[in-house]
Amino acid sequence: MEFTFSDDQRVYQQSLAAMLAKEVAPETIRGRWSTASGFDPGSWQQLVDMGLTAMLIPEDLGGLGLNEVDFVLLAEECGKVALPEPLVDSALVASQLLVDLVRCNSDFASRGTELLQQVAAGTVQVAAGHMINPYLNFAAEADWLLLGHGEEVHLVARDQLQLQAQKSLDPSRRLYRVAWTPSAASRLVDGQQGAQLWRIALNRGALGCAAQLLGLAQAMLQQAVKYSSDREQFGRAIGSNQAVKHLLADCAVRIEFAKAVVYRAAYTTSVGPARADCAVSHAKVAAADAALLCARNCTQVHGAMGYTWECDLHIWAKRSWALDKAWGDNGFHKNRIHEWLLNPRALLGAEYTFGASNRAFDISTEPLTAETSS
Amino acid sequence: MKLSFSKQDEQFRAEVAAWLQANLCGEYETIRWRGGPGDEHMYVEERKAWERKLHEGGWTCIGWPEAHGGRGASIEQQVIFNEEYARAGGPGRIGHIGETLAGPTIIAFGSDQQQQRFLPGILRGEEFWCQGYSEPSAGSDLANVKTRASFDSDTQQWKISGQKVWTSLAHESQYCFVIARTDPDSVGHKGLGFFLLAMDQAGVDVRPIEQLTGTSEFNEVFFDEARCGANDIVGLPGDGWKVAMGLLGFERGVSTLGQQMLFQNELNEIVALAKRNGAARDPALRARIADAHMGLRIMRYNSMRMLSGGVDDGALQKSAMIYKLYWASWHRNLGKLAMDVLGDESEILEAAPYQLGRLQSMYLFTRSDTIYGGTNQIQRNIIAERALGMPREPRG
Repeated sequence: MEFTFSDDQRVYQQSLAAMLAKEVAPETIRGRWSTASGFDPGSWQQLVDMGLTAMLIPEDLGGLGLNEVDFVLLAEECGKVALPEPLVDSALVASQLLVDLVRCNSDFASRGTELLQQVAAGTVQVAAGHMINPYLNFAAEADWLLLGHGEEVHLVARDQLQLQAQKSLDPSRRLYRVAWTPSAASRLVDGQQGAQLWRIALNRGALGCAAQLLGLAQAMLQQAVKYSSDREQFGRAIGSNQAVKHLLADCAVRIEFAKAVVYRAAYTTSVGPARADCAVSHAKVAAADAALLCARNCTQVHGAMGYTWECDLHIWAKRSWALDKAWGDNGFHKNRIHEWLLNPRALLGAEYTFGASNRAFDISTEPLTAETSS
Repeated sequence: MKLSFSKQDEQFRAEVAAWLQANLCGEYETIRWRGGPGDEHMYVEERKAWERKLHEGGWTCIGWPEAHGGRGASIEQQVIFNEEYARAGGPGRIGHIGETLAGPTIIAFGSDQQQQRFLPGILRGEEFWCQGYSEPSAGSDLANVKTRASFDSDTQQWKISGQKVWTSLAHESQYCFVIARTDPDSVGHKGLGFFLLAMDQAGVDVRPIEQLTGTSEFNEVFFDEARCGANDIVGLPGDGWKVAMGLLGFERGVSTLGQQMLFQNELNEIVALAKRNGAARDPALRARIADAHMGLRIMRYNSMRMLSGGVDDGALQKSAMIYKLYWASWHRNLGKLAMDVLGDESEILEAAPYQLGRLQSMYLFTRSDTIYGGTNQIQRNIIAERALGMPREPRG
């Protein structure tokens, strides 16, 4: 067993963190709030240059062939800076869904491969609209959209659909309702195949959300620690008071313990995305819990400043509140877990922690066996 | 990252499972599933015999180096052993303080002579240990110990006087590791010594403390010029704090995995009960059961991540200082969940005068989890100051 990241994975994380620290500051995020698109092509190009749009695409389809374990730390970094651009949904969900479509529809293989090469090169953007999310973030930036009609998967060009903008609680997000007309020409797979693909897409989307929430939580805690160390009342830093310390210690524990769950879900998704339901749901719940607690406690620690538009904290807090609901809310994910847990056939022992549990989690499509997965 | 066990590890699993199946039966059938938290006072003699049986099979102290009689088992193998042990319903380990605390401390800090003298008894499951840390005036403020150790040059022995409290299993133990002040003029963590003290002597008086459960797992221990050999101090006089803290590092290592297995058995029992009595149909209880499950998995993944060296960011986990707060709060909540799943039956005792069911006993026991070994409040102070670097509180 090896519950660690490689040096390469850490180096990639550090170089992305360094780039984001330079490119995505609170002021530049606020700058995007007053633009129509909310999207900064310069930042996006930097992400493309670092290989982020190509990394998860297999080598035979023109990408770098890395996997979810390689990506999870990068998604966390995107959360730390509250990156507005939809990199995580784009790289982890939309382009991966395209890969799955290329693999299961040979008629689409050559068109799909061409599209993936363009996605990898950053010349084309693809977005995936999953039925669990009523609004699609940054839909207006996408050249092509993968959309569901029932369980079928369709590929629709941006100019073939109508977008109705919806203001988000988080001024960094650009949400749209999407109206479109399905046709035989736009359909890539039927409902039976599509059901499995959408299920996998949901797992990837929720994993990406969980990793970002983990990053958002850390950034908020860091700000509150700094603020409480600087701000003085009664002649000393407010952070020397136990009542303040305990608020932030709780945040630290929640974050630290959510990490292993999120990393474990990344691993499970990388070895079997269709079997990752419970691992991913656990990660989404744990990371959202951490981020929501940080949003609440860190606002409290900032006092009245924390309730102002001027204080940067709400950039992270509002993203946390938004992502808590995206790709399935707390209730949805907890349901997936207790439906499994209280199923009479559930394999519950500790010995199933990493092994057969991966199979047992997916009660609807896999037989319950005691074999160990890879 | 690779989250699975190798072929060799799976063979090891089969070996452990087979041995337990062949041996944890017959005269030991009665102690299966017994002796866990809140149940430590039960079947003590049988569980001591079981420790010796474990030794016969080579299953005590498996994580110790081979040179000291262990198996030098890898982390993975220790995890597997704990998993299989819990799955088979292995009884609460009465030798755990020796195996996971005293032994590793003596191996790390003790002299050759101490290792030869004390390790074999632990290994054979014949000698049991207790921990002499807390005192009436040294609880959260452990460095405030008042127990004194003075060297008697006539007898060439240490004489130890003072009082320890909350000493688990002192009444079943042959030895106690004691922190005592070797420099009478010292304060705080300076001037302390770490002693290996025999319990069976005139200067040691053990008095049980009755707990909420009506039973006595812990004790007050009084030392009145208790004798300890010149060679039975670990390190030098003044090294006591360093050794004591080193020991706490072991407490938060692999031994946490064994504890998690007990938790898993408790949770399984609650889940089975909920399915049986209909509580599993209550949406609010379902959600709490899911929370309990997730919390336990969180602890498990984190222990495995920590033990496999996956934690390389920050001071938080290096000292594992966050673990106590997490598991204590989780277990406290599990106790409450058990009572809520029991429903009206949670109030009804099994028999007079005060015989508790297992889950009732567990519920009462878990009222202490957030207190012993460092209260939740002290843990949060430590996390905030040492891990987050927040300003220190003015201290008197």
